Amino acid sequence: MKKKKPYLKFLFFMLTLSFIGPAALLGEKRISNVRYEIWVELDDQNQMLHGKENITWLNNTRDDVQDMWFHLYYNAFKNEQSTTIQESKEEWFGAFGIKIKEGRWGCVDVTSIKLADGTDLKPTMEFITQDKPVHPGDQTVMRVLFPEPVKPGEEAHLQLEFESKIPRSIHRSSYYQNSYFIAQWFPKPGVYEEGKGWNCHEYHLNSEFYADFAEFTVHITVPEDFVVGASGKQIKAVPDMEKKTVTYTFYQDNIHDFAWTADPDFIKVERDFIADEEVSLEEYEEVARMLQLPVEEVKLPDVKMILLIEPEHKSQIDRHFKALRMAIKYYGLWYGPYPYETVTMVDPPFRTRSGGMEYPTLFTAGTGILRSKKVLSPEGVIIHEFGHGYWYGLCANNEFEEAWLDEGINTYSEGKVTAIAYGPGAMPISFQRIPLSWFCKLPEYYNYELERATAIHVVELDPITTISWKFYNRGSYGLNVYARASTCLYTLEGLVGEEMMLRILRTFQMRFRYKHPQTQDFIDVVNEVTGKDLSWFFEELFFSTLNFDYGISSVASKEKKKYVRGVFDVDGRREEITSKSIKKMEKEDKKSDDKKFYVTEVKVRRFGEARVRGDTTMKLKVVFEDGSEEVIDWRGQERWKKFTFEKPAKAEYAQIDPDNIWLVDSNLTNNSLKRKPSRKGIFKVTTQLLFLIQNYLQCAASIT
Amino acid sequence: MKILKTFEKGFQTTNKRLKMVVYLWLINFIFSVLIVTPVYFLIKKDLPRSLISDQILKGTELLWLGDIIYKYQDLLPALVGWFLVPAIFFMLLYIFLYGGIIGRIAAQDEKINLTSFLSDCSKYFFPFLRVFLISLVAYLVVFGGIHSLISALFNLWKKSASTEWPLILSSILEFLVLVLLFSIVRMFFDYVRVRLVVEKSKKAIRATLINLTFIGKRFFRAWFLYLLVGLITAVFGVIYLAVYQPLPKIGVLLIVGFIWQQMYVVSRMWTKILFYSTEYHFFNLHKE
Repeated sequence: MKKKKPYLKFLFFMLTLSFIGPAALLGEKRISNVRYEIWVELDDQNQMLHGKENITWLNNTRDDVQDMWFHLYYNAFKNEQSTTIQESKEEWFGAFGIKIKEGRWGCVDVTSIKLADGTDLKPTMEFITQDKPVHPGDQTVMRVLFPEPVKPGEEAHLQLEFESKIPRSIHRSSYYQNSYFIAQWFPKPGVYEEGKGWNCHEYHLNSEFYADFAEFTVHITVPEDFVVGASGKQIKAVPDMEKKTVTYTFYQDNIHDFAWTADPDFIKVERDFIADEEVSLEEYEEVARMLQLPVEEVKLPDVKMILLIEPEHKSQIDRHFKALRMAIKYYGLWYGPYPYETVTMVDPPFRTRSGGMEYPTLFTAGTGILRSKKVLSPEGVIIHEFGHGYWYGLCANNEFEEAWLDEGINTYSEGKVTAIAYGPGAMPISFQRIPLSWFCKLPEYYNYELERATAIHVVELDPITTISWKFYNRGSYGLNVYARASTCLYTLEGLVGEEMMLRILRTFQMRFRYKHPQTQDFIDVVNEVTGKDLSWFFEELFFSTLNFDYGISSVASKEKKKYVRGVFDVDGRREEITSKSIKKMEKEDKKSDDKKFYVTEVKVRRFGEARVRGDTTMKLKVVFEDGSEEVIDWRGQERWKKFTFEKPAKAEYAQIDPDNIWLVDSNLTNNSLKRKPSRKGIFKVTTQLLFLIQNYLQCAASIT
Repeated sequence: MKILKTFEKGFQTTNKRLKMVVYLWLINFIFSVLIVTPVYFLIKKDLPRSLISDQILKGTELLWLGDIIYKYQDLLPALVGWFLVPAIFFMLLYIFLYGGIIGRIAAQDEKINLTSFLSDCSKYFFPFLRVFLISLVAYLVVFGGIHSLISALFNLWKKSASTEWPLILSSILEFLVLVLLFSIVRMFFDYVRVRLVVEKSKKAIRATLINLTFIGKRFFRAWFLYLLVGLITAVFGVIYLAVYQPLPKIGVLLIVGFIWQQMYVVSRMWTKILFYSTEYHFFNLHKE
């Protein structure tokens, strides 16, 4: 640990003032409070990484910090005592979990850790397991003690050396043959939270990551025939003729992780996203109007797009770039301009199991050789993973504790971008790896339809805001944080309107760029931008396991009786109205032009536990046979309510939520009720099923 | 050329036996209706009065499909059982029907009526049941042994793959091998059944053993003939899809679509009889 001398501090202050001006110093903290310089060499013979790492950590809190906690993610693959593998075994009795074959383990050893002044911290090194339930054998979190605390505003300078055995074909980071995808590979400090200490969780099966913004300079040495891609911008490539290696240097500030890949077979293609060619002035004006911002503020910068693709997928280069262009355009227009110069898209090397994963300024897509253009794959994964550059990359929430904040918002955003760029996609069904959409028309759908159809199954299992490793199972984690959260956001969009929703997400993104927002921050932004207290929406749908289901339970119309039987007092005398006299009077009425009136009774019900609150109501629409409509608002608090209408026509149908705002409703079938049933839809479903059964029986008979 | 002649004869015989196609279609239809009926009443309870039923007409939409799956998820095990058990009964029924099919093909000069058809069905039920049980052993040997061996070879290839290509090719080839192996076993026991009927025998094991020599001597010719009829089945499938896929599923066209589906099912029955007709003529041609 090296303390800053006071005069140096003053000199630094004056220099900063002269370069960036006083405004930045008044309210803004430096974005990156960590600086890394890493030298890493890939040993292709033994699948090892030999690394040196200099870390400068700035204590930008008001606490005295006694220790430092590091993530050693590679140790998740060290042995069967790791939290990841333990959790994987608990999941479906290990049936679908991580199975590591012998000789394929991965691990990281910190061989040396010192302060810049030479103080050896290794004797203080210990592994920490604090997440409950405890997995005592886990070695993915390491702690070292400082000889004396790091005071607020001071920096700690550490020098580490490490050796990593790269795991084979396991989970996100691995190698297969001579292809490598290297992620979560270097000892990385957790996030120090003022008053709370280090937030540094173990590597869990169901969670992703959390780190401070940092400045990275990484020197990667690989055999000369390898093609390398990495986070940030390549600034140097120095060949070593003797060793037959090349050292690539990458640099990027204001990111919180660094990943890289190396494969001799990669084809590297570079193209530019030229904003002026991609976005018209009308589009800028339209978005500016929707966001209520000046046009200048929504203008996009140019971006260098880099694609590393496997030769067998060469024919899909244009598909990859088109999807990326769409993503840069719409994420940029809607949520804020992409702030980095480059984005690297990696077609994951075969069998490295590294596809569909996000890292700052770099992401992995994922495709196959046989792909139908009607199925939006790889497009969907490209848009999603690029989108994480915004939701995780820039708004860097704690993915361990609040995964929905990036996965949910990004799944929603991906759906919006995919819909505008491509429309609906066909179901990705293959037979023997051959896409069936080549031969027949498969049903097409928008992302939100699939998300809603899957999300309704997990509503009662866990709240969306559950800590990642505490979900009922992996399915509940996945469906809650991705599909259900997205479905709830579509519902929020329905409730507040599309433009308001854009303003919410734009505000959230721009306000929490380079910060670590939490769920409450999002709720605060929603309330602020809409000018309403919508906290109840999150209480009902995000923090609870309440099922949302409103519906119509009955609709009936009957003729309004003008006359009723019985004894009545008329003009001081008693008169009896009988059935016979009623018939007579009705006959008389028929001669006149008096219209018949009908009384329609509609009963609405709240089948689920969740309810609308605040000034939000459930809309009820009743359509009558003469084409007229009645629309009324129901507060939706009671379990049921009866509404009565008197009209010259019978009801045709009643519908609750006719604008389909409440996508989160777990039963859309009961949202409407016709007075008279129609059998056409049933005929179609039944005949389709009948045909399937007929063929199924014939197939069964073929075995005999 | 002899094979094509045999095929032609089989074709003519099949067309003279169209009544049997009707029988088979009716049996299949009634059996399927029995299976579908409870499902029909289940969805009839909820859907007809919902606006969702109008959306169903527009095409498959995940919003209503998701609703149905969610609603009936607890019934899934019962539904699987409901579909599985009748399939076993249907298999037994077909073992029964094969006697009638082959018996009536063999009775070339006789007219087909339900009595004669059912009489043949019952006459050969038990021998054919024994053939079926023997065929299960054969399936076990072929798929448990030979196919596993071939699979292991493909796995070796896949294991060392550097790209996805070996995975694609091996899965296609593996499937092809599976289909061809299935066709061989299926064809072999077809001839056992034909032999039993032609020879008016009930000795299933003996017929199976003799058939080894019979097929062994003229395997490729017999197989070619079998695959030829198989190809016709596949062509019917393609024609069905080509017409049905673009057909709008609304209004009266919904009924047209249903009729077209039934025509396809009828075509499957027709090819089933064609299989046996060609095999019968091939057997007669080479009878020793």
